[in-house]
Amino acid sequence: MNKEIEHKFIVEFEQNQNIIHKVCRIYTSNQDAHNDLFQEIAIQLWKAYPKFRGESKLSTWMYRIGLNTAITLYRKSKRSIVTQDFDSVLYKIESTSYDDTEEEQLKLMYAAIHQLTDIDKALIFLYLEDVNYKEIAETMGISEVNARVRMNRIKTRLKTILNP
Amino acid sequence: MMDELEFLKKDWKKQGADFPKLTYDEIYKLIHKKSSSIVKWIFIICIAEFLFWGLITLCIPDSTFVIYEKFNLKTFLFVTQALHYVVVFAFIYLFYKNYKTISVIDNTGLLMKNILKTRKTVNYYVYYNLILYVLLSIVLNGVMFSHPNILIENLMPANSGLDTDKFLTVMIVVQIILLLVMCGIIWAYYRIIYGILLKKLNRNYKELESLEV
Repeated sequence: MNKEIEHKFIVEFEQNQNIIHKVCRIYTSNQDAHNDLFQEIAIQLWKAYPKFRGESKLSTWMYRIGLNTAITLYRKSKRSIVTQDFDSVLYKIESTSYDDTEEEQLKLMYAAIHQLTDIDKALIFLYLEDVNYKEIAETMGISEVNARVRMNRIKTRLKTILNP
Repeated sequence: MMDELEFLKKDWKKQGADFPKLTYDEIYKLIHKKSSSIVKWIFIICIAEFLFWGLITLCIPDSTFVIYEKFNLKTFLFVTQALHYVVVFAFIYLFYKNYKTISVIDNTGLLMKNILKTRKTVNYYVYYNLILYVLLSIVLNGVMFSHPNILIENLMPANSGLDTDKFLTVMIVVQIILLLVMCGIIWAYYRIIYGILLKKLNRNYKELESLEV
């Protein structure tokens, strides 16, 4: 493939790589899985890049490919690891329940997000990135109304996970 | 709770410093690595299935067909085989067409739909092969067993000590067992392939679809 396009891609990727790390953070709960997903998204972005014409923002384009890759990538079940991470965080919180630090609260939030389904993770990711509902709906291939309804359900679900 | 989510959102925007920063060279190496996407796996498995079923047909030795000549089934088999090749090429065309429509830049729902559709084409191909196999077995055996004297003349080993009724019974039982074993193996294979590779994708697709009902 054209060296010029490749150079342009790598430069843009270098500047925007945090977006991919954020996707991995939502979808994975250990370093190996994070790296695997990061690599696969990078490959998919590069494969799709020659067709990227800049009609949409680069970030929007990256969200779409990143989330699509995360949702469709075949992974061995990491459920046991997720549960273990979640439990150890819970345990930690219980033992220091009188001086909750912000960091622990965040860890608990991420552990709760890891319990969500792949589709819900995508919605939460886009919500955290401040993407509007119209764009969320377009990215996921659902209607705007349903995206809103679903987001409210996810918030309730997170609430239940955090305060059983 | 909403406060917690807003709190996370604030932290979300700040994060970045704690992520490793890849350099230009590292990114270059990364994007030239091999993909392990599900689409690639499906492509490989589907091609293997096309080859498998194609080779099975080629691997049947010509001597097998000698017996069919005695039952005047040669023309029937020739026509069947010609039709079979037409169907196989139609399947390969459909598979390729569906495969080409898969695009990672489509919305999530459409992408999953296209992946599953591609996979389904190959499933139909396998069903077709199975049905063809079962039907041919029934037709060929039906014709052969309705002329038991020709069958005995050609297939029953001399001095086997078996009487003709016993021989025919053994033949039928063996054919049925073979048919069942073959179907069993293929059924198990599909349970495994679906169970492992596509369970998550199917689940995600159903979930997204259920949002739209």
